[in-house]
Amino acid sequence: MQQVLVQPQEDTLQRRVRLAPRSRWPDVLVRLFVKACGGFVLLTTILLIGFLARTGLAGMGEVGIWSLLFGPRWKPESQLYGGLPLILGTFVSALGAAAMGATPAVLAAVWLTEFAPKPLRGFYRRLMEIAAAIPSVVYGWLALTHLVPVMGAFAHAIYGDDSNVGGEGLASSAVLLSVMIAPTVLLLSVDALSRVPYNLREASAALGASPWQTGFRVVMPYAWRGLLVAVFFGFARAAGETMAVQMVIGGARVIPANLFRPTTTISSQIVMDMQNARPGTPADDALFSMALILLIVSIAVVLVTRMLSRPVRA
Amino acid sequence: MKHSAAVDSLRRGRSRERLLKGLLGIASMSLALTYAVALAHLVLRGGAKLFSFTSYAYPLSDIEGEGLMRAVVAACLLGAVAWGASSIVRALLERTYGSSRRVDTVSQFFVASVAILGALLLRDRLPRFLVSFPSETTAGGGVGPEIFNTIYFAVLSTAVTLPVGVGAAVYLARFARSARFVSALRTALDTLASLPSIVYGLFGFLVFVVEMKAGYSLFAGAFVLSLLNLPLVVGITEESLRAVPRELEDASLALGATQVETVRHITLPYAWPGILSALVLSIGRVFAESAPLIMTAGTTVSRTNAYSLSPFRGGETLAVHLWYVNSSGLSPDKADVSAGTAAVLIALIALTNMLAARLALYGGALGSRLTKATR
Repeated sequence: MQQVLVQPQEDTLQRRVRLAPRSRWPDVLVRLFVKACGGFVLLTTILLIGFLARTGLAGMGEVGIWSLLFGPRWKPESQLYGGLPLILGTFVSALGAAAMGATPAVLAAVWLTEFAPKPLRGFYRRLMEIAAAIPSVVYGWLALTHLVPVMGAFAHAIYGDDSNVGGEGLASSAVLLSVMIAPTVLLLSVDALSRVPYNLREASAALGASPWQTGFRVVMPYAWRGLLVAVFFGFARAAGETMAVQMVIGGARVIPANLFRPTTTISSQIVMDMQNARPGTPADDALFSMALILLIVSIAVVLVTRMLSRPVRA
Repeated sequence: MKHSAAVDSLRRGRSRERLLKGLLGIASMSLALTYAVALAHLVLRGGAKLFSFTSYAYPLSDIEGEGLMRAVVAACLLGAVAWGASSIVRALLERTYGSSRRVDTVSQFFVASVAILGALLLRDRLPRFLVSFPSETTAGGGVGPEIFNTIYFAVLSTAVTLPVGVGAAVYLARFARSARFVSALRTALDTLASLPSIVYGLFGFLVFVVEMKAGYSLFAGAFVLSLLNLPLVVGITEESLRAVPRELEDASLALGATQVETVRHITLPYAWPGILSALVLSIGRVFAESAPLIMTAGTTVSRTNAYSLSPFRGGETLAVHLWYVNSSGLSPDKADVSAGTAAVLIALIALTNMLAARLALYGGALGSRLTKATR
């Protein structure tokens, strides 16, 4: 999903191509068509942001940005539009997922590129590619049937017979998201680690470092940008994930007292409320405002990632 | 890598590091094992559901297109089995006699005839789960319309993604003139790539359901999905277009071909495997995505036009169905239905990947021929 972000430079080929004869009429049509494709992409992006910003800003005007960011309770039926539970839910579960899922993934990537036996590597990679291709709804269903009961037992072991706590909540969603993002983070980290020049490893070994020292003090520091990009990518995916989280988070629209009580996230609340939405009402516009907040955050994350992944000029 | 053995032997003595390395290895392997177990669970549990079928001889209902749909499912099932068998036999034959054209023709004929035979014979004896309608409150619901919708979505969204994505990539890689337009386009693509899928769903909802008052439709869902896939397709296609060797294009231009002719006959065929892999990735996302579809194509299947080819009706896909059954379904065999749906979904994704590997072989032939010619 990483794209090449390098500005195209006019090379000799392109200059020569430009001098090539272009009188025949299909040429003009094809040129027009490819340019129109580019225009289409640009136009739809502008439309997308424009539509969302229009409705979202209308919602912010009606409800007030202070309430959307810091209000403690989301209850559109009685004109309460407090977005804090949604924002907290999204951030806590995504941060938990990044911590629990990305750390093992990055370590496993180091093991895979530096220490793993060679015949194992291709197989391991293949398995992780398949795991990354499993639809998120399937992960959600697996978590609903297998993870939630375990977490429920865990919660009752900690809090005793409190009937408010259970398997549904931030803890379950963070674990689920960490399982979901780990394969992607691992694959991206492996890519970053295998871009480290082999000379560096040889030089490190020649200086007397063990493979362990080479792996953790030479290769990892060299690839830190790529590793950070992988983790950020995982975080962005976890924050934007909708259906799987909706299945395990419980759906209570309040700030939870602990990690084992039901709560909600921005995206799952959007999905739940959009099913019986009435366009144009403040309740609906407030949802779009929350989506706008999510959009701004994810664009910011991508901008930071882009800044980090820009190639270093030596 | 040839040095690592020597490096290892230098440092055998460090027992603490060896211990740490072993621990890291065990941790990584158990991580992989988790996913392997989950996959095996999905396949076994879902497979059990798929094959615990009761055969039934009569049509379930008089829905338009239902018979055709069943014939196609039967043909695909038997055809896939025949394909597997014939490729094993062919590999064995090639090992002993070498490859021959006649074996290829015979095996293709065999696969096709078995598929047709299956369509005729097996049509009324299919696993019930694969062809029957979903059921909201009673046990025994299937995913027939969902399978149809999922594949139809892939076709519809590819119909938009392929021309637009490849066109934009060709523009960026070969025809771009205005630097400002290019940088605007790149920013747009980066923005699109960064958005959570639910935002696309909201956009589709606003445009098609609210502004155009068209209601939930497959068309809206497919359009939103193709938007979602555009950055991916443009990125990979542009990368593979840029990887086309310069000499080939130079030679074509030197022979008097115009720039467009060069792109059409040299650059695009050479980059075909890359374009194909982009398309396969995007189809995989179409299969997997659910949040935007709930808001644009709805969560229901109508009995009257479940198999109609009109893109202006609503309909749910397998992924949406899996979510819907678990979040608001009331049927007593929820767990079984979910397992079966997940298994079908994963089988579809695996099948797409296999087909693409095959297509890449055929399409890539021209590329390798070109390389040989210029060497």
